[in-house]
Amino acid sequence: MSMTSLKDRFDVIVIGAGHAGCEAAFAAARLGAHVGLCTLSLDTVGHMPCNPAIGGTAKGHLVREIDALGGLMGLAIDATGIQFKLLNRSRGPAVWSPRAQADKRLYGQWVRQRLEREPGITWMIGRAGRILAEHDRVVGLAMEDGDAYGCAALVITTGTFLNGLVHIGPEQHPAGRANEPPSRDLASSLKSFAFEWGRLKTGTPPRLDRLSIPFDRLVADGTFQRERGDERPVPFSFLTAPITREPIDCYLIHTNERIRDLVRANVDRSPLFNGQIKGIGPRYCPSLEDKIVRFPDKERHQIFLEPEGIDAREIYVNGFSMSLPRDVQLDLVRALPGLEDAVMLRPGYAVEYDFIQPTELTRRLETKQLRGLFLAGQINGTSGYEEAAAQGLIAGVNAAHAVRGLPGLELQRHEAYIGILVDDLITKGCLEPYRMFTSRAEHRLMLRIDNADLRLTSRGREAGLVSDERWDIFLRRKSRYVNNLEEISRARTRNHTGDSVTVSQLLKQPEVALSQLVSDRRVTLDIDANAVELDMASVETAVKYAGYLRRQTSEIERAKKDERRRIPSGFPFERVPGLSREVVQRLEQVRPDTLAHALRIPGVTPAAVAVLAAYIGRGARPRQDDARL
Amino acid sequence: MFSTADTIVAIATPPGRGGIGVVRLSGSDAHTIARVLLTTDTPLEPRHATFGKIRSADRVLDHAVVTLFPGPHSYTGDDVVEVSAHGSPVVLQSIVAAALAAGARLAEPGEFTLRAFLNNRLDLPQAEAVADLIDAVTPLQARTALDQLQGTLTDRIAEIDAALFDLIARLEASVDFPEEGYHFVEPEALREALGALLDATSSLLAEGRRGRLIREGLQVAIVGKPNVGKSTLFNALAGCERAIVTAVPGTTRDLVTEIVDINGMRVTLVDSAGVRVTDDTVESIGVELARKAMQIADVVLVVLDGSCPLDEADRAVLRETCQRRRIVVANKRDVADRADRAECAESPFLPVSAKSGTGVEALRAALAGALDAELLSERPSITNLRHVSLVERADEALRRACDAIVERGTSVAEELVLADLQIARDAFEEISGRRTPDDLLAHIFSRFCIGK
Repeated sequence: MSMTSLKDRFDVIVIGAGHAGCEAAFAAARLGAHVGLCTLSLDTVGHMPCNPAIGGTAKGHLVREIDALGGLMGLAIDATGIQFKLLNRSRGPAVWSPRAQADKRLYGQWVRQRLEREPGITWMIGRAGRILAEHDRVVGLAMEDGDAYGCAALVITTGTFLNGLVHIGPEQHPAGRANEPPSRDLASSLKSFAFEWGRLKTGTPPRLDRLSIPFDRLVADGTFQRERGDERPVPFSFLTAPITREPIDCYLIHTNERIRDLVRANVDRSPLFNGQIKGIGPRYCPSLEDKIVRFPDKERHQIFLEPEGIDAREIYVNGFSMSLPRDVQLDLVRALPGLEDAVMLRPGYAVEYDFIQPTELTRRLETKQLRGLFLAGQINGTSGYEEAAAQGLIAGVNAAHAVRGLPGLELQRHEAYIGILVDDLITKGCLEPYRMFTSRAEHRLMLRIDNADLRLTSRGREAGLVSDERWDIFLRRKSRYVNNLEEISRARTRNHTGDSVTVSQLLKQPEVALSQLVSDRRVTLDIDANAVELDMASVETAVKYAGYLRRQTSEIERAKKDERRRIPSGFPFERVPGLSREVVQRLEQVRPDTLAHALRIPGVTPAAVAVLAAYIGRGARPRQDDARL
Repeated sequence: MFSTADTIVAIATPPGRGGIGVVRLSGSDAHTIARVLLTTDTPLEPRHATFGKIRSADRVLDHAVVTLFPGPHSYTGDDVVEVSAHGSPVVLQSIVAAALAAGARLAEPGEFTLRAFLNNRLDLPQAEAVADLIDAVTPLQARTALDQLQGTLTDRIAEIDAALFDLIARLEASVDFPEEGYHFVEPEALREALGALLDATSSLLAEGRRGRLIREGLQVAIVGKPNVGKSTLFNALAGCERAIVTAVPGTTRDLVTEIVDINGMRVTLVDSAGVRVTDDTVESIGVELARKAMQIADVVLVVLDGSCPLDEADRAVLRETCQRRRIVVANKRDVADRADRAECAESPFLPVSAKSGTGVEALRAALAGALDAELLSERPSITNLRHVSLVERADEALRRACDAIVERGTSVAEELVLADLQIARDAFEEISGRRTPDDLLAHIFSRFCIGK
């Protein structure tokens, strides 16, 4: 296609303005790129089609990391959250994780307005159609209406829209989300490239009318259990001042025998169980049908009723996702305690969608086949707003860097949950929707929410994403941290036997808390009033986790040495004698960048890696005809 | 996971075969570690033998010849240091242990050769031979090898690992799903589960000590004052003329060893210099070695001259060995017939003529008894030093995990317990193969209905 017929030219075009797309567009624009952000409607920017909440275990870590790098999500939820909770507070700071209910409407609005303040972003309202490529390189995007735009990098974040198929009992209709048409042309354009595809399923529960539920009476008579948020919220962002908004309440109820019997009686009408749905759903977020059928011994299941906003009519029934027919859904809702007269505003549904196996991607989330094409979010097989946003940020930074020939941003497993996320995706691919867990982190005690900035803000600064304001705040926070560490190893106090010890020595005892020592004025620290708990946690963990951190650091150092053994790009794995065909196939698919990376690929044995190491060490180089872009 | 970045150490010679044993170090820190092991500051000239004392943190272990082969012109291509010490498996193991303490890692089977291969020091056109070579370093291959050797360790480890894996899964579920409204492991149950795991590792380690006795053999040291006929007795038990026998006191200066079969047991017999005060430098080194051999032996044969009354030197030897498992032998019964057995306390006392062979068979029987053949009749499932050290690592980690159970209300510091359980699991995985975090999540989801 000739360049003269282009309607406009961008550095970076982002398709989709969900959580991945918004972070990608924001990051690229902050780096100075001229960005086109393509969305079906301005009303669904930063939309939360499922649970109106951000964070949770490990997901909260992702948001803190996005924020430390200079991303959007932490600021957005701090501005629009209506109930905040620090999860795992009874455990140590390493596994504290923030979670917040969002006012769904305000959240989307906030994100849209923030993007509109970025001069580099231009909205492209409409339906993306065809990827324009020349010589294995992206050159532009044609919309379904025929308009064509040029770009040097394209970030696709289409969520569940690729050949999306919504199921409600026997009803099925093509849709990306409830009442939104799927991406068909874009899907077939993508299918013209030789990517490996898969199909997944996810689902959402019915929404109820708040006005049909007498909450106060049901709490008073004990039917509902009130779930309150933290009185003093711990913000997601390192920039946020204390949040003083009046929090809303959520409500906890449980399923009962009637619900169990109803599900059992109707399970053959569930598309999940009668073969209508082929895609694989997430085990960590089981549908109601799954819960009842797979765990017959469990007497009851938790259900949370969560308002979708301060003034919203809709109540989200957390834990009640299903794809049963509408009439059964209403019966099930009304079988819940206290909801005998509830009005169902819309039914739950399951959605099947296509995704591209992320083993097609590099650590920068660029496809290996098509230069300049970046993928982020559910199109890569992940689930969750936070996982999507994290990928969006990585894709957006790298798209902008690629356009300007900058070095790019790659995070490793020991630096960030985001590094783990990307490494898992590109190394293992997805068999089910991928969700982050803290158990995926080898060095969990180092990857904490309190030190996300200490780990990542300088990386974000190098990449060009961290503003001067954020950088100043970070530098002050870092010097506070260093000074406080010095202070506790210098200041002396008395232990329980009356001996003089340093504060640091005293802190080593498990029962001694830093907050107590500070409030007893046994040590004076320089703590930011906006972040008392987390500032203190950074200092306290440095002492209390010292032995663990030392062991993990030495493990990381050992691992780093192995990460330095690089595999040349375009390396001809099939030429290496002694490797089995299966191993060669896996290596060709993932094309690991280092030997340590190769060892993480499922099915690649240590012996195979040793053979590979030897072959590379012997100076074997790919022949000319093996060289790829 | 095997790594080529660190420094490895292992005994390079078969244990007990002859007077010299070699401990080999390879890797970027080989030279530094050698400097830590040596008591002197004599610089190590490349490819020159240097004599020196080898020490651990608290004592001198042996005298040895140390040679540095800087890479890439060494066997493995890395910096290599070879320590040629006395060929006692126990001495050599103590040198290995000192090297481990100084930062080396125990080499996997075949790993020196693997490194030579990886560093292009070996010409390897045949891929199949290479594959075999490399297979020996993987945990899976190690397991196979062990299956052939012992058969039972795999099952034992698998059983412990399965319990550990399940415990980890439940603790991980508690951390990752705090909103589920119940505790996956109560503190008391955790304590119990860890206790059971520790029982299992402790019993493996106890077996490991016995297992190593079988694999490396037992040590019998022949001691006594000079010229009581120790070497004659040594030759009689060995069934050959290994030790030089003269009428001159102090003839034997170095340790002379021979593997002998005592009722089917592999026994390393050590002949040593007579214990006495001497001005001769070489002999005094021999006396020092004799003392050491005496200290590490499983059974000590104290030889007295049966033809003379006990003198102060005999009494000194008897005093020095009175805490040891020992057999007292009154030699030279062909010359005369007297010795004062009252001073030998409770120890078995045997009249023998090493020269004529009278009483040697009775001595063999007594040795078999003293070596506690019964102890070894039950086959232990762990014998390999690499496995023992991995089980030790797991055991230490489990103990730390126990210490980390700090109750906070109804909750425990799962994340800290888990950090050490993961180290324990990694150690078991290194013996028994691999599992990934994905398996862990699969296990969690198959057992609990969690998630919203």
